[in-house]
Amino acid sequence: MEFKLEAHRIVSISLGKIYSARGQRGGLKLHKNLLVSLVLRSARQVYLSEPGCPPEPPPAPAGHPEEEPPPRTAAWAAEEPPLPPPPQDEAGRDCPGPRPRRCCCGENRGGCAGAPPPPHCPRKRSAGERGQAGSPLKKPRREEEEPPPLPPPPSPPCEQEDMETGNVASLISIFGSSFSGLLSKEPKGRRRPPLDGGEAAAGTAPAEAAAEPGQICCDEPVLRTLNPWSTAIVAF
Amino acid sequence: MGEDTDTRKINHSFLRDHNYVTEVEFNHTGELLATGDKGGRVVIFQREPESKNEPYNQGEYNVYSTFQSHEPEFDYLKSLEIEEKINKIKWLPQQNAAHSLLSTNDKTIKLWKITERDKRPEGYNLKDEEGKLKDLSTVTSLQVPVLKPMDLMVEVTPRRIFANGHTYHVNSISVNSDCETYMSADDLRINLWHLAITDRSFNIVDIKPANMEDLTEVITASEFHPHHCNLFVYSSSKGSLRLCDMRASALCDKHSKLYEEPEDPSNRSFFSEIISSVSDVKFSHSGRYMLTRDYLTVKVWDLNMETKPVETYQVHDYLRSKLCSLYENDCIFDKFECAWNGSDSVIMTGAYNNFFRMFDRNTKRDVTLEASRESSKPRAILKPRRVCVGGKRRKDDISVDSLDFTKKILHTAWHPTENIIAIAATNNLYIFQDKVNSEMH
Repeated sequence: MEFKLEAHRIVSISLGKIYSARGQRGGLKLHKNLLVSLVLRSARQVYLSEPGCPPEPPPAPAGHPEEEPPPRTAAWAAEEPPLPPPPQDEAGRDCPGPRPRRCCCGENRGGCAGAPPPPHCPRKRSAGERGQAGSPLKKPRREEEEPPPLPPPPSPPCEQEDMETGNVASLISIFGSSFSGLLSKEPKGRRRPPLDGGEAAAGTAPAEAAAEPGQICCDEPVLRTLNPWSTAIVAF
Repeated sequence: MGEDTDTRKINHSFLRDHNYVTEVEFNHTGELLATGDKGGRVVIFQREPESKNEPYNQGEYNVYSTFQSHEPEFDYLKSLEIEEKINKIKWLPQQNAAHSLLSTNDKTIKLWKITERDKRPEGYNLKDEEGKLKDLSTVTSLQVPVLKPMDLMVEVTPRRIFANGHTYHVNSISVNSDCETYMSADDLRINLWHLAITDRSFNIVDIKPANMEDLTEVITASEFHPHHCNLFVYSSSKGSLRLCDMRASALCDKHSKLYEEPEDPSNRSFFSEIISSVSDVKFSHSGRYMLTRDYLTVKVWDLNMETKPVETYQVHDYLRSKLCSLYENDCIFDKFECAWNGSDSVIMTGAYNNFFRMFDRNTKRDVTLEASRESSKPRAILKPRRVCVGGKRRKDDISVDSLDFTKKILHTAWHPTENIIAIAATNNLYIFQDKVNSEMH
């Protein structure tokens, strides 16, 4: 169990690093971000393969029928069985992919529809709806919320599963907001989106959520086509 | 003998970390020492010639020249700022009275020529001393201008600018033993340049995958063999070394030799991959061995043996249990360099708390020394330090928890022939000499 908690903590730290790397002077460091993504992957594997992590229920449509399998990494796939070596990770991403995003959208739809919510509310609401206070994944947003410094104590299986998708939803919202920032309005500062994800330079795809860090964009095309994890690498 | 750069004189920036020394390199004779900093400046020190009159002043390094090598730039196409920080400096072998060095930031390599001027012509017929045209009616005779001595002036000029060769961040440059070519390596590619040609380069290594999502390793350092102009080595973030032969093919994607040590399964952790990433690789002066540095160890590899290093030295194994905290505060990504002494018998590398370590390959003895103002009064002898890891604690020991991880020694250099070392500690430069040397005169 402690491995699971440590793994969870490492996942959140790693995501925080990827997130904050976007604002770095001189552009994203490919080497460092590659290492962070490898740690993220290892931690995720441990987290998912540890006992106490029940498989996810089949995805609910949540009103957003998915046509093509999105290029989303299996990072967010909670129900995936203990993972094969990395190259197959990427291949197996399409099936479990949509579900967490839909959940996120489903969750946050109530949060972001209507008047623009204050920056912190959507994430809080999404985590709150899951009944998980003080999720370790709030760590990257420490300045906004008041998470406990330690990971939460082990919770019963059903809540674990909730924590799983709740965290996933929170993660999606981190990246979702930033992608909306770059695709829906003129980028502030010096960032510009690379829509091809090719040799576009650092910091463009996972660009900074310049204006409102908490603003959620549930723009389906955005979330479908942008893969936060691999895009961190593809951005180069 | 300890000497600090007086950064206040040459630094006008209010941003303190522009003074961080980011590179240290002796030239081939050891007479000159070049340092680069985060603000794009290069400072060259020259060793004072030894004189019998002042036996204790001999061999000290003083500032010889300072120049701004790189400026911050902006890539408008990618909306990216390009840092002016000097990543690497390499001296060219001296071929005439001038000295030359290559300096690079993340994107652009520059060739600088350093010349001295200590004479100037005087006695022109048409111009006076200030350069103003003379009234011709006052000129009654012709004179031949003569060269008169003047105060030494060191001039540094950029002779070549090798730009637009790299998409990713340049991490190393290495001058070939043929003295005509050099290579530059970024995260995914290595280019071969001719020193006289700036508008093109040959790509000799390319490890960029067709799909960037398949990326698993990057190039971390590279160096030409000191004697064989066709051989070079590059290290990867996975901890492997690849020796390549340029005679084999134009694109050296297939290595001639792959040096890799299987991982110890008992040491496996989330961070195994990070700590196995090689941060520096250096050929020995003999060309027979390679020295690599990863996060916790330095290893000596024999070129003839690919399966494992011939020697492994623990730099700070007490950090192995602290990897998670070091990951959190980013220290685990620090890239330490390593160095050989002139005879390849001692290797040196930096650590935290302004400590640096030396390992004698013959006696198998090692020592930890500290580069700090308190412990280095001029001509004071450095006292060996010790980090205690629980158990009996001696006086003056430092406990692991009181190590200062902001004081890291990433860059060190060893004089090519003598026991003089240059240590960069954040924004200070320390130069230490072996006491034995100075007693010889």
